[in-house]
Amino acid sequence: MANEFGLFVSADIGKCTGCKACELACFQAHNKNNKVGKTIGTIAVPVTPKLYVTVIETASMPVQCKHCENSPCRAVCKQGAIVKVGHQIIVNEAKCIGCKDCLVACPFGAVTLLPFHAGGKPVPQPGNPGEGRIVASKCDLCPEEPLGPACVRACPNQALGVADINESRKQKNIAAAEALAVVNAGAPERRAL
Amino acid sequence: MTVIAIDQNVCTGCQECTKICPNLAIEGLPHQPQKIDENKCVMCGQCVQKCKSYVSIAEHGFGAYALVHKERGLPESVVEPLFAAHNVTHIMEVKKALADPGAYTMVQCAPAVRAAIAEDFGAPLGDLAAGRLAAALRKLGFDRVFDTNYAADVTIMEEGSELIDRVKNGGVLPMFTSCCPAWVKYLELNYPELRSHLSSCKSPQQMEGALFKTYGAAVLKTPPEKVFSVSVMPCTAKQYECSRPEMNDSGFRDVDVVLTTRELAWLIKDAGIDFVGLQNEKFDLPMGDYTGAGEIFGVTGGVMEAALRTGYELITGKAIPAVDITAVRGIDGFRTAEIAVGDLTLKVGIVTGLKNVKPVMESLKAGQLDLHFVEVMTCPVGCVTGGGQPKLVVETDFEEAYKQRISATYDHDKELPIRKSHENPSVKKLYADFLKKPLGEKSHKLLHTTYCGDKKAHH
Repeated sequence: MANEFGLFVSADIGKCTGCKACELACFQAHNKNNKVGKTIGTIAVPVTPKLYVTVIETASMPVQCKHCENSPCRAVCKQGAIVKVGHQIIVNEAKCIGCKDCLVACPFGAVTLLPFHAGGKPVPQPGNPGEGRIVASKCDLCPEEPLGPACVRACPNQALGVADINESRKQKNIAAAEALAVVNAGAPERRAL
Repeated sequence: MTVIAIDQNVCTGCQECTKICPNLAIEGLPHQPQKIDENKCVMCGQCVQKCKSYVSIAEHGFGAYALVHKERGLPESVVEPLFAAHNVTHIMEVKKALADPGAYTMVQCAPAVRAAIAEDFGAPLGDLAAGRLAAALRKLGFDRVFDTNYAADVTIMEEGSELIDRVKNGGVLPMFTSCCPAWVKYLELNYPELRSHLSSCKSPQQMEGALFKTYGAAVLKTPPEKVFSVSVMPCTAKQYECSRPEMNDSGFRDVDVVLTTRELAWLIKDAGIDFVGLQNEKFDLPMGDYTGAGEIFGVTGGVMEAALRTGYELITGKAIPAVDITAVRGIDGFRTAEIAVGDLTLKVGIVTGLKNVKPVMESLKAGQLDLHFVEVMTCPVGCVTGGGQPKLVVETDFEEAYKQRISATYDHDKELPIRKSHENPSVKKLYADFLKKPLGEKSHKLLHTTYCGDKKAHH
C-alpha cells in the first residue's frame, strides 16, 4: 500500500465492546518465540500486548500508537530505542532502558512498560540478573504478519481497521465534490448564470 | 456450590458472554462487570471459553495476577493468563487424594479429552492423544486408569434398550438423550413438564462412577469407601452433575471430583511430566476397555450413531451394512434423518448448540415433533468444544479447532478394532457377571435416574 503518512490501527468506538480479543491476538502474534501457541495453556509468560483496551463509563476502545509524524516518543528517547522504519514508529527492545520518557511524551498513553521475555524466559536486566527487564511496548503494526495486524483480524465485532488516513481523506473530498455535483447538475438555470 | 463465576474485578463488561449464554443467565450493564444468575446458569462454560478479559499488568498492575491466582486456589505451577469468567477448580482435592496412601484413586476420561489435551502442550489443534493420556494419568499416580468410553458403551446398552422398549411398548416419544448435564439442567429449568421425554439413563460419567464404587471395588478387592473417584471431562457442568444429591447410588458419592481437560493439563505440568514425549499406554481393564462407538460420544451426532450401530443389530439380529452412519454426522444446529432398521423407519434428530434446542422443544410442546429419538449436546459441535476444553487464544482458530477435534474423534473410532458397543468384551462381561441384563434390577439401581427431584420408583 503506497502511503504518505504513517498507517495506524483505528478503532470504531461504536462497535468495540471492550472484550480484549485484540490484546490477546496482539500478544500471541508477538510471542511465538516465547512458545505461545494456539491455546491459553501454552502461555507461560505474562500477557504483554501492544495496544490497550480502555473502558470508560459509556464506551470502550483500544488505544494504540498512531505512528505520529513528529513522534514525541522517538524525539525524547535518549537511547535511540524508538526509530522510524518507513512511516512506522518502532521500538527496539534491546536498546530500551525503561526510562519512561516515552510514556511521558505520548499524548495518548499508547506506550507502556511491560516485562520482556525471550525463549519463554524473562530477559534479565543488564548488571542485575535477578531482575527481569521492563521495556516500552507499543503497536508496531505486526510487520511479521503476512495478513496484517493480528488485532484487526481477531476482533469479533470488526471494530478495528488499518487506517490509511490520507486515502480516506481523499475519499471524503470525492464524496463532498459529488454531493455538490448533484446540486449543480439539478440546477441548469444556475449553470447559465 | 458455584461452578462458573465471573470475577467482578477483572470483567470489562464487554457482554460477549451474555451473547452466547444459552439460558440468558448473565446479567449486567454494558461496560460494567457482569454477574451470573446461578438459578439460571446451566454451567456449560461457553462463557469461560469466550471470555478474553484477563488479569493484565497494564490495567491491573504487576501484583494483581498473584492475588487472583491465590484467590482461585491454583497450584503455583499454573502460570497461564487468568480470565474473568472461569470455572471453580477442585484440582487441589485431586492432588491431595493422589498423595494420600489410604486412598484408592480411580480415574475416568471422557472421549473428547484425548482429542484436545495435547493442544495445551503446544501440539497442533485436534492432535489425538489417547495413549499419552493414559500414560500421563498412570504417571500421576492414579491406581487405576479407566475410561468413560467404557461407560459410554454401557450407556448404549441401556439407552438403546430403553429406546427399543419405548418404541415397542408405546412409551413416551421422542426420547431425548441425557448424557449432557447442561442440557438436562436446561430442560429441568425451562421444560420440566417434558421430563418424561428424557432417557432415564445417567450420563456415562455417572454410570462409570456408580460402577467404580460397586463392581470396580469388588473386582479390585478394594473397600468402596477407600475409592476416590475422579473424572476428567471436557465439560464444566460435569462438576455440577456429580454433586447432584441423587448421584450416590453406589452408597457413596459416585464421582468425587471432576477435572476439566485444562485442569488435567495443569496437573500434568505440575508433576513435571513431559506429555509430548510420553510413550502410548493403554487404559486399564475392565473399565477402560472401549469401542469406537464409545469414542464418538464426544462429537455431535456421535451418541446417535453409536446407538444406531447397536440398536440396528439388536432389533434386526443382522450386522449393520455400514458402520459409518454419515446421515447423522455434520455440524448443523438441528438436523434429522430417517434410518431403516428392519421393518421400522427410525426418525431421529440431532441438536447441537443449546440455543438450537428451544424451537425443537416448542415444536414438541405443540405436538409437531415427529421423531423417535433426539440427541442434544450443549456445546457448539459437541463435547470436543466443551467449556472445559483447551481455550483458544483467538476466535479465528475456532473453526479449525472444531474441525480437527472432530476428525481426531472419528479417526480414533476408525482405528479401534471394535466399533460397536454391544461387542465390547468387557461390557459383555459386566452384564454376565454383575448387571445381568440391560434395564435389569441392578441397572435400574445404579445406572438410571430421575429428574426435577422426582423420587426413583421401586423396581
